[in-house]
Amino acid sequence: MRVNYQTNVTPRLRVLSEDQIEQIVYEAMDVLQQTGTRVYEEEALTLLRGAGCVIDGENLVHIPAWLIEASIQSAPSRVLLGGRDREKRIALEKNRIYFGTGSDCPFLTDPCTSERRRYTKEDIYRAAKITEALPQIDFHMSLGLTSDVPVGTYDRHQLLAMLRGTTKPLVITAIDREGLADQLEMACAVVGGVDEWRKLPLFAVYVEPTSPLDNSREAVEKLLFAAEKNIPLIYTPCPICGATGPATMAGNLVQGLAECLAGLVISQLKRKGAAVIIGGVMSILDMTTTVLSYGAPELPLLSAAMTNIAQYLGLPVFSTAGCSDAKTFDQQAAIESTLSIAFAALSGANLIHDVGYLESGLNGSYDMLVMSNEIISGVKRILCGVPVDAEHLALEAIRRVGPGGHYLMDEHTMKHFRNEFWVPELLDRSNWDTWQSRGGKTLKMRVHDKVLDLIEHYAPPPIPEKTERELEKIVARADEAHRAEEVTQP
Amino acid sequence: MSDALLQLRNAVIDGRVKELEALTSAALSAGLTPKEILDNGLVQGMQVVGSEFKEGKKFVPEVLFSARAMQVSLNILKPLLAQTGTKMVGKVVIGTVKGDLHDIGKNLVGMMMEGAGFEVVDLGRDVAPEKFVEVVRRENADILALSALLTTTMRAMDQTIKMLKEANVRDAVKVMVGGAPVTADFALKIGADSYGSTAADAAEIAKKLIHAS
Ligand code: B12
Repeated sequence: MRVNYQTNVTPRLRVLSEDQIEQIVYEAMDVLQQTGTRVYEEEALTLLRGAGCVIDGENLVHIPAWLIEASIQSAPSRVLLGGRDREKRIALEKNRIYFGTGSDCPFLTDPCTSERRRYTKEDIYRAAKITEALPQIDFHMSLGLTSDVPVGTYDRHQLLAMLRGTTKPLVITAIDREGLADQLEMACAVVGGVDEWRKLPLFAVYVEPTSPLDNSREAVEKLLFAAEKNIPLIYTPCPICGATGPATMAGNLVQGLAECLAGLVISQLKRKGAAVIIGGVMSILDMTTTVLSYGAPELPLLSAAMTNIAQYLGLPVFSTAGCSDAKTFDQQAAIESTLSIAFAALSGANLIHDVGYLESGLNGSYDMLVMSNEIISGVKRILCGVPVDAEHLALEAIRRVGPGGHYLMDEHTMKHFRNEFWVPELLDRSNWDTWQSRGGKTLKMRVHDKVLDLIEHYAPPPIPEKTERELEKIVARADEAHRAEEVTQP
Repeated sequence: MSDALLQLRNAVIDGRVKELEALTSAALSAGLTPKEILDNGLVQGMQVVGSEFKEGKKFVPEVLFSARAMQVSLNILKPLLAQTGTKMVGKVVIGTVKGDLHDIGKNLVGMMMEGAGFEVVDLGRDVAPEKFVEVVRRENADILALSALLTTTMRAMDQTIKMLKEANVRDAVKVMVGGAPVTADFALKIGADSYGSTAADAAEIAKKLIHAS
């Protein structure tokens, strides 16, 4: 009998010890109680005051520790999302990882002309379609911000385009409370009513506090509506080390966590049990270029640390990976995407977003998305770890083959190689001659071929016609209501 | 270069904010004129900082501390310069446009402009076009600097420029625009005078705009 035997089924990554996590959590509570956070929304202020918060002046809220602890307690540690295809379900619970795109980039590189131009509704649809086709992308965000529809209703147009393109779960953004309400109505039309929505919501909404420690009226209105209507809420900041957050990693985590927790408290006061996902885009300000870096090694480090913290608190977490500061889809993009994807996956974060971002979040790239799909796939192979048992230790096969033999035709090889070996799709392992004879294409070219192929030939399952008409009606109603607002196309 | 000027220049280069008050007073007591202190001490210091920044030897926080150091000295010199009729570089009104809450880029632009010797009036974020027009007129500003980080708020730049025209102050002020989704093409289209893609650019461009007018 073998005793004291431990297995490690999957490799693990841990950035912070439990003691360090506790210290960060306590300091975040200290920030909320002592420094306080600004809230620019009346109903939230009333709720906070009623719950025992001290409010300095008109909107500086000091939140006591017990209220934060109670809010962490009452929020669910598990959140479900399901796509238009109700079978495409993701469960945001400890150590379950899902990858998805980011939202709202102003620019894309035109797949045909290579020109850098602004996103259109058609581009938003294509992005969703590509997500639909990629097996490693589990949820979808718009990737771009469309510039060819009315400014006051672009969020509804984008949801419609996304729904057309993909049957996977979504993370949406909303202009305001009204935009969120319309999108909820659209989602209910898709899933078949409010009760179906409550059983399995179609999307989570992404709302951001303003670092440092501000909660805008617009953000809090959306937060309150989400809490009330059972919309899973991602309330996460982008504290930039050295600019809108402390330069030190630990300090940035303290502030970022405090910003998430402030939103958590308000949402639990609005409705106990409301689903809140914490986390954020956490990175540094590059002190030469003044860019918020999406490729810096500090991003995966901070993101993994934040995941450690969220898991400790028992809350689902929104993380960041698959993004880059590179201006075009190039070697830098590949390096930065790989680093952050590997780290985020190892950390066990739930919604890992921004896959496909180039240019520090300004260019939503199809090529980056398609390549990252392959990176995620490879990383997941590593995450499967090394199974160690009699069959996998292969002593019998080793005996059979013996010194000087080979394994190529052994039954053990036949039985296992398909499961044990990861097979790339886009990465090329052929030798020089073969590669040459196939056109000598670089990874960049092969990825782009796939992008063009998907755009041209991939057809996502259509929305039932009746539903489609209902959706169009809601969008048209919103356009009508905002008709008076001026639209200047940039 | 006199000892006092050299010390001032080096204190600016190192961003030793706390020392500037004493050093400026010392320089004045030593009989140097405010203009000499400005031109041969402070500005020379900032020039070194600027070129070291471009070479990647200095980083943004260091540049900002140097700019702050220079400001401390300038605050003492300003009234004296005014007496002798020496003009400051110029006055800038800056803000993030209506509907937009992104402000760190705008803050950086403002601070860099201060470092270049401009007087900067910062209106914060989510600033209505009417407010810009009102302050430009009241402050008699040389430059209006608008920041937008959202495709959806860029149109507020357009609106602000139109409103400047309606209020008959467009010709009296140079308008520069910037922010991540803004492009040189867009700036041209809405009739802005200039576009800058970084805070360092912004200060350079502002100086050029002033000299051109
Ligand atoms: C941090 C951030 C936020 C923070 C801002 C906090 C703060 N205190 O500023 C928060 C979380 C609040 C936020 C909110 C939102 N954001 Co935001 N945000 C960013 C992010 C990640 C970084 C911006 C930043 O600070 N960069 C660092 C600074 C130093 O750089 P900068 O601002 O570009 O400024 C430099 C230059 O542009 C230039 N410059 C700037 N202004 C000016 C002016 C002049 C005159 C000149 C010459 C130069 C100049 O000089 C500066 C210094 O070098 C960008 C992504 C990106 N890469 O830009 C998205 C981004 C700008 N945000 C975006 C969006 C969509 C939003 C939200 C709408 C999200 C939502 N649905 O809720 C909200 C909008 C809230 C609102 N009403 O404004 C989109 C915009 C997309 C688009 N097509 O317009 C971006 C591009 C991200 C993305 N891909 O989704 N955001």
